[in-house]
Amino acid sequence: MSDDEVEFITPPNKLQSKVTMSAGGVDPATLARAEAVIASLQGNYLQWVEDDLTNLQGAYERAMSDPSNRRVHISEIFRIAHDVKGQGGSFGYQLMTVIATYLCRMVEKIENPGPEHMAVIKLHIDALRLVITQRMEGTGGAAGESLVKGLEAVIGKISR
Amino acid sequence: MAGYNLERLNFLIVDDNKHMRALVKTILHALGTKNVADAADGADAFKELRCFPADIIICDWNMSPLDGMDFVRLVRTGKDSPNPFVPIIMLTGHTEMSRVLEARDAGVHEFLAKPISAKGLYARIRSVIENPRPFIRTPSYFGPDRRRRQTPFKGKERRKAVKEALQKNEDQFSLSQDEVNALLKG
Repeated sequence: MSDDEVEFITPPNKLQSKVTMSAGGVDPATLARAEAVIASLQGNYLQWVEDDLTNLQGAYERAMSDPSNRRVHISEIFRIAHDVKGQGGSFGYQLMTVIATYLCRMVEKIENPGPEHMAVIKLHIDALRLVITQRMEGTGGAAGESLVKGLEAVIGKISR
Repeated sequence: MAGYNLERLNFLIVDDNKHMRALVKTILHALGTKNVADAADGADAFKELRCFPADIIICDWNMSPLDGMDFVRLVRTGKDSPNPFVPIIMLTGHTEMSRVLEARDAGVHEFLAKPISAKGLYARIRSVIENPRPFIRTPSYFGPDRRRRQTPFKGKERRKAVKEALQKNEDQFSLSQDEVNALLKG
């Protein structure tokens, strides 16, 4: 094949032969039931997010006590925060997604992690813990708003 | 009310987070699916694909040792890939434009940002069902057609099938817009 050549292929359409349009198919009522099933998992979420918070705290403490491997521990913080970011909103905890997104973005930008970065990471972990212990569902109302503004302010300080 | 019946479709979920796998599986079951397999990383998923004839793969990005992008490339271009054409929905918290483009260029069909909802996931499944995409093979890409909008392309036409059709028809008569669209849609 030359660099200029583009081959155009029509793959077999297996889906069309396996999917039918029927009365028992996915309709708005099915979708509403599916959303209700997700909502019913909120209790499970609150249990497993505890593990994430514990693991975040552990990774933070290791980053503090083992500065020579701080980057490795911060990568672990990113990995866990990324999971928290991807889950909170599905279970009615959008504020968890917002705070974890800030944490991920901040951690991604850190070149030389110093005490100021560690302090801000700790603030985010504490904020995530607060959202769960206070059951701040959704965006957390006025308290959630001020929490987010506070985090934005400290991120702004270390970004200067 | 009628809707798509998904019960005969086989889904493969690939995510290193067991809670995410459980969530996606729960949603799929709530949408009426019966056959759902799962794997914790790209390598396991590729093994699973050899014995599980997945119709749609729902795949996370961040996994190790083989991450979502490596897995997609392996499915699309691996010599021993069981199904290079299988539709893949990339499910990820990475929503930056560069990441979306990277996923598209690796050969994913759809991109769904976490956190997910039943509506969001179903919308991507429906898109895969309703918009079967032709595949493109170039020296640097193999995967679903990345031109989603059927707008006239002003650059040099490099697509083999279109070029051949145009060449053939040049001697006879011009293609209608519908015929061109049909060709572009595969």
